[in-house]
Amino acid sequence: MAEFDGVTVRGLRKAYGSRVVVDRLDLDVHPGEIVGLAGVNGAGKTTTVECIQGLRRPDAGTLSVLGCDPVTQAARLRPLIGSQLQASALPDRLRVAEAIDLFATARARDGGELLDQFGLGERRRSAFSALSGGERQRLFLVLALLNRPRLVILDELTQGLDPAARRNVWDAMRQLHEDGTTVLLVTHDMGEAEALCDRIIVMRAGQVLDAGTPAELVARHARQATVSFSRPDEPTALLEEISGLDGVRNVQQSGARVTVDGDRRMIAYVGAALVRHGSVPEDLAVHVPDLNDAMLSLLEPVPAGSQAIPGSGDLVGGRR
Amino acid sequence: MSALGRLVRAELRLMTRDPLVLTFVFAFPIVTMLIIGGAFGTAPDPAFENTNPSHWYVASYLTVVIAAVGLVMLPVHLASYRERGVLRRFAAAGFPRWSFAIAQLIVGLLTTAVACALLLAVAAPVYGIPAMHDPWRVVVALPLGAVAFVSIGVLLGSLLPSARAAQAVGLLIFFPSFLLGAGGPPPHVMGSAVKTVAGPLPLTQLTDAVRVPWLGLGSATGSLAAVAAMAVVATVIAARRTAL
Repeated sequence: MAEFDGVTVRGLRKAYGSRVVVDRLDLDVHPGEIVGLAGVNGAGKTTTVECIQGLRRPDAGTLSVLGCDPVTQAARLRPLIGSQLQASALPDRLRVAEAIDLFATARARDGGELLDQFGLGERRRSAFSALSGGERQRLFLVLALLNRPRLVILDELTQGLDPAARRNVWDAMRQLHEDGTTVLLVTHDMGEAEALCDRIIVMRAGQVLDAGTPAELVARHARQATVSFSRPDEPTALLEEISGLDGVRNVQQSGARVTVDGDRRMIAYVGAALVRHGSVPEDLAVHVPDLNDAMLSLLEPVPAGSQAIPGSGDLVGGRR
Repeated sequence: MSALGRLVRAELRLMTRDPLVLTFVFAFPIVTMLIIGGAFGTAPDPAFENTNPSHWYVASYLTVVIAAVGLVMLPVHLASYRERGVLRRFAAAGFPRWSFAIAQLIVGLLTTAVACALLLAVAAPVYGIPAMHDPWRVVVALPLGAVAFVSIGVLLGSLLPSARAAQAVGLLIFFPSFLLGAGGPPPHVMGSAVKTVAGPLPLTQLTDAVRVPWLGLGSATGSLAAVAAMAVVATVIAARRTAL
């Protein structure tokens, strides 16, 4: 495997007893990228990042992380990674400032500045047990960034944060991106993934289902756009015209409501038709597909009887 | 400061904020020593190998401190850290593999030293501290025993699945050991079956290695060797099992 300053995973497999959690997984994170790892609960995301960090020993596969093998060179690798883990804690009576002292190595940034940046400046003397969920989350983020890591791994980054804190954390992620730090972000929040990630890797049942930029995933998997409005007085001519418009796939009437499905271009054509007929309805509504729609479509339960897990060569969309 | 230094400093700081742990390790041996040390008077007694019973117990109770640290304080502390994900965080943050186990060893030994000093300070004005007949053996046995029990504690904390389990198992081992091997009746009044069970217990061996040379009842070389072997074996196993 070529050594490079990012993350390369090939053929990763990890089982807990008879339950295979990660199965023949291939994954790349290039230096300086923010990559999101998404998927349903139990898809194997956390186990994958734990193997990348050298916290779990894979059953099979090869990994190169910042040029190190996480299995044999964990001691060299771990100080280079800043991580915010799921299901971890600090001692209850440890105070915020003491946590900074405990985790700060010789490479550390100014912990006080980081605490201020994430709104914890006033909580320096508070015990970990006295912090709210959001404050704990921000403290973990401070600790993850404290020692100038080259790779940052964040599991459920903004879970439990209020909108202002979330925005603050996103700004910090963008700053990291500008500084050239590589970030692997495990997330269920597609708004967050769309806002921050260069690429998103979608997992199901321990394998990569698809990967690409947010725009590519939307283009490949998002359901069609929808325009809906209440029926005008004499709809027949209008609806006939709409049915024949470029990009329109389906026109449905349900009571007084008309719903038009199609690709994104049809939004403009339908709007133009409504204007031409001089009947632009007050309740005109447009739904444009986003990453969330793409994920819902991509992660739809597989119908019974069909192959539950695509092989690594059968990636949806043909991309990795 | 090194990772080990930072861990030791944080752990010592946290221990001073945990009143329950301090109560058990510091107060339990002192209170029980005061009670039982006064129960049999101070006249030399054949059951106590013709020594002053109060002095017998003063010379026995330092090992109760060691056992309280090793069998109760450390297992609960470690298991709770593992259960709550604190150890994972240390591991992920790049603390060296052995740093946590070594930090626990250092903190356990310091706690033992302070608790022993406190116990002697309380015993001195009440029962007096018996003269040490063979101080070198006592001075060798105590730290060896402390290393052995701290390592056993670190090992128990690594093997037991939760803090509650560690507490249950720790107390289950501690109290019989305490009653049979250190703070309970002297071996001469025990029935033969009880004596057979008590004899090989680690705490019995350690107490013999301390009390016998302290009170001038012999050298207890066999017990001292057993304690030394325990210290080596327990430390090696604990270090292997408790790496981050």
